[in-house]
This record gives sequence, structure tokens and C-alpha cells, in this order.
Amino acid sequence: MLTLESVTKRFGGLTAVRAVSLEVRAGDLLGIIGPNGAGKTTLFNVISGYYRPEEGRVRFEGHDVTGLPAHAISRLGLTRTFQIVKPFGNLSVADNVMIGALTRLPRVRDARIEAERVTALCGLGPHAQARARALPIALRKRLEVARALATRPRLLLLDEVMAGLNPAELTGIVDLVRRVHAEGVTLIVIEHIMAAMMRLAQRIVMLHHGEKIAEGTPQAIAHDRRVIDAYLGEEFNLAEA
Amino acid sequence: MTGLGAERWAAIALFAAAAVTPLVVRDTYILDSVILILLWGALSAAWNIAGGYAGQVSLGHAAFFGIGAYAAALMSARYGRSPWLGLAAGVLLSLGAGAMIGYLSNRLRGPYFALSTIAFAEVLKIVASRWRGFTAGSEGVPVPFRPGFWTLGLSHVAWLYLVLVVALLAYGLQVYLERSRVGYQLAGVREDEDAAEALGIATRRRKVQAVVVSAALTSACGSMWAQYVGFVDPSHVFSIDLSVRFALNAIIGGMGTALGPFVGSVFITSLETYLRSISSWFSGVGTGFTGIYLIIYGVVLILIVRFAPEGMIGIAARLFARRARAHA
Repeated sequence: MLTLESVTKRFGGLTAVRAVSLEVRAGDLLGIIGPNGAGKTTLFNVISGYYRPEEGRVRFEGHDVTGLPAHAISRLGLTRTFQIVKPFGNLSVADNVMIGALTRLPRVRDARIEAERVTALCGLGPHAQARARALPIALRKRLEVARALATRPRLLLLDEVMAGLNPAELTGIVDLVRRVHAEGVTLIVIEHIMAAMMRLAQRIVMLHHGEKIAEGTPQAIAHDRRVIDAYLGEEFNLAEA
Repeated sequence: MTGLGAERWAAIALFAAAAVTPLVVRDTYILDSVILILLWGALSAAWNIAGGYAGQVSLGHAAFFGIGAYAAALMSARYGRSPWLGLAAGVLLSLGAGAMIGYLSNRLRGPYFALSTIAFAEVLKIVASRWRGFTAGSEGVPVPFRPGFWTLGLSHVAWLYLVLVVALLAYGLQVYLERSRVGYQLAGVREDEDAAEALGIATRRRKVQAVVVSAALTSACGSMWAQYVGFVDPSHVFSIDLSVRFALNAIIGGMGTALGPFVGSVFITSLETYLRSISSWFSGVGTGFTGIYLIIYGVVLILIVRFAPEGMIGIAARLFARRARAHA
């Protein structure tokens, strides 16, 4: 579904992503981990069209999307959420989600109905009329997911939708991510919370200094020497997670 | 969304009041005030399409106003053709100029965009002042008065209804932007361009479209103003004062609301007319009052931005919401 061929992104002298290749199949739930500054979000920005890579190609469902503008990639069915949430602050939750739905459903009435469905799915039903900027962070993270989901993506990139949440909120959003995946959306998830990642992901990719240093099942990653040295610090005990 | 129904009724009341004015009074002073309120309101509404709905705050819309004013004035004064043709030519030129400014909005954001629009209007002012062979330079162009609709030599009453139609058109265009797909997408662009892109909105194209429509409408109003007032000179029609005025009416009335620019125009235009009349009473004493409306502009703007950033429509909506709660 998504193929990265040796993608490199540089900022001046800094190589943020170096020769990363990746294969994502339809139905995957792929996790990306790595220390701060490892290039995770930069990789998302390259895939979703916010940055143009210096080298390499990005292919999505047979289209070469390298260098296409973000809105064109979104229309092909590949969209993303933002680590630092970007709600349309002065608009209601319902309008936020509806603007997403308008991409596939040009008629406002149809988009309104679709937005109601997605808003409820994401547990935002009771807040539909609230102004987006008035929401607490946990709900704003959900709004990011809802709005992206309303565009009916086939591949969705989730950038730290769990960061900054308390344990109860965390359980809620993990359930939401599972539900989205169960609806048939292929997911790539960036997350720092290992416990959640271990339970969610089918496969994990580890980035370090912009390079892919490991890829495998959660179990394999948890015992990988390079991952432990660069990121985990000690072996991650799945039983405790 | 509270108070939106009320806003619609207020708009109907405002435009109906304007429509019956000529049936009640024949005083040209009052008719003139109503015509100017509607015309400045329509101009602010045009500005609002780019500044309020799409979030591209321009301080150079006098550029489009001036293009329209000169196109109509030169077409009738220099070539003896109908100013309607001039209006059409002005709109065409402004479409091009608007596309240029819209393109700039993709390169420069916020204050940098606003500054570049100021520069654009200033450049046109200089061109119009220096290109004497064509524009008659800083002396300006007197517009000949030839009675008739085709020549736009109209009575005050006819002007009022013509300008009312334009105002209704500008108002309707804004209402469309509040309800349509394009309007919602523009709101997304205004609120956060990156997020809008992720949702599949071609933000650059949408911004250019908004600025182009805004420019064309501004230009058409500029043409009418030139025919109505009968004189065009570069230092006025391309002035930053005008650009600020378009923005100010909308900000005071309520940016991104359909009625806001008209409410702002009622307030500012009447205040200005009133203060000018006072200053003429005092003209025997001295000219100390001539500039006072500028000071009051400034004070009102500061108060609005400090206490009611959503403008008068925002204040009204809040009052309605409070009353609705009190009744519930």
C-alpha cells in the first residue's frame, strides 16, 4: 500500500531522515518509535506531502506521491494528524469534522450527517457544539483523529495522539485507535508510550538519528540490543505491560 | 450559532430601512448618507471575503478600488464611452491584480502579507500620479455628468437603489460563504492552513479565489463611487486611509460575519458625517476639528480590539445568548 524507497530529508547540514525504506501493507498497524529528534515526525511530513525529500520515492497505492502537495495526497486517501494539535479553534467540533467530510462529500448536508457519525464514533458526540479551542487536550487529540477520519482515509498517520493523557484517557484513545483499525483503516502510529505501543502495533520500526535501526514484531523489538541501547534503556517486559 | 437568526432579521431591517428612505425623505443630505453607508458597507463586505472569511488581511484594497475608479472615470472622461464598460474593464484588471496579491498570500503570511498589500497600493498611486499622459496625474480626472443609466448619470434616488442592489449582492455572497462547501473550506484555511491541507483542501487555490472575488467586487464598487462622486484623484483613491477604512468597518462590525461590515459602515460613516458637519460649524473658530474623526476612529478601534474582538455583531450575539439563557 505504502512504499518508501530510501527516503532522505535534509535541513541544511542536518540529515533528519537518512535512506529510510519501508513497506506498509493494507490492514497493517505499524508503530514507529525512537528518541526525540530521531526523525519520526519528519518522516510523517515527507510521507504526507509537507516536506519534499531530497532523495528517494514515496509510493502510495501505485501512485508516486513524492513531492505532491499535502491536499492532493489527502485526496488519494492518505492523511495524518498533528503531534501539536491543530484544531480550527474558532469553529465548533461539528464544523471541524464536517470540513474533513466535505472532501469526499461535496454537499454540506451529506457532510453534516457523515460528521455526526464520525463525531459519535470518536466519543465527541456530547461536545459537538463546543468550540474546538475550549476542549481539554484529551478531546482535542480525539478531534484530530475525528477530523482526519472524516476524509475517509485508507492510510492514516497518527502522530502521538496519546501524549499528555492520563491513564483513563489513554485507555479511551487506545480503544479508539483499535476501532479505527477495525473499520479497515491502515495505520502508522508514532508513540512514546511503550506499553500502549506494545499492545497496539503488529510491527514496530525504530528510528535513531534519522536511520531505521530495527524493524520487527513488538516482542523482537523489545529484546533488540540496538533498541535497548538507543531508546528503551532496559529490556521491556511485555508481561508487566 | 446563537443569534444568527437574529442577525438575519437585523440585516433585513437594515436593508428595508434603506429601501424606504427615498419614499419618506427627499433631503439629498440624508439620501447621500444612506448611499455612502451602503457603498462603504459593500466595500467592507468585499474586503471581508478575503480578510474575514479567508483570513487574508489586506491593507491595500484601495488598489482595487482605485483601479475600478480610474477605469470608469477614464472610460467616460477620456474615451466618451459608458462607465459600465469602464466598470467591466476595471473588474478584469482587478481579477489579474487580485490573482497577483492572492499569489503573494501564499508566499507571505500575516503582517508581511498586509505590508506587501500596502506597498502594492502605493505603487499604483505613484503610477497614477506620474503617468500624466494617461491618468492626468495628480490633478485627477473630473467625471462628466451625462444623465442616463448607461452613462451612470443618476438622481440620488436612483443611485440609492443601484447601490442597494450592490450591497445586497455583497451581503448574499457572504451568506453563501457561511453555508457552502467553499465557505467552510475557507474557514479551515483561515483557522489553520496545515490542518486544512491534511483534510484535502487546496489552500493556495482557495486563498487566491477569495482574494480575486474580493478584488473584483471592490473594483466594481470603486467604479460606482467614481461616477457617484464625479472626481477621481490618485492620492485619494489609492490611499491607505481607504484601505484602512474597508478593514475598519468590518473589524468594528464583526469580521467574518455577513452583517458586520454594514453595521460598521453605519457606525463609522454616520460618525464621520456628523463630525465633519460639526467641524464645519467650528470652521470660524479654527480648523482644529477637521482631523478629529481620525482620533475617534483610533479610539473606537482600540476599544473594540481590547473589549470586543468579535465586533458589534459579537457583542450582540453574546447579549442574545445571555438573554436566551435567562429565559430558559
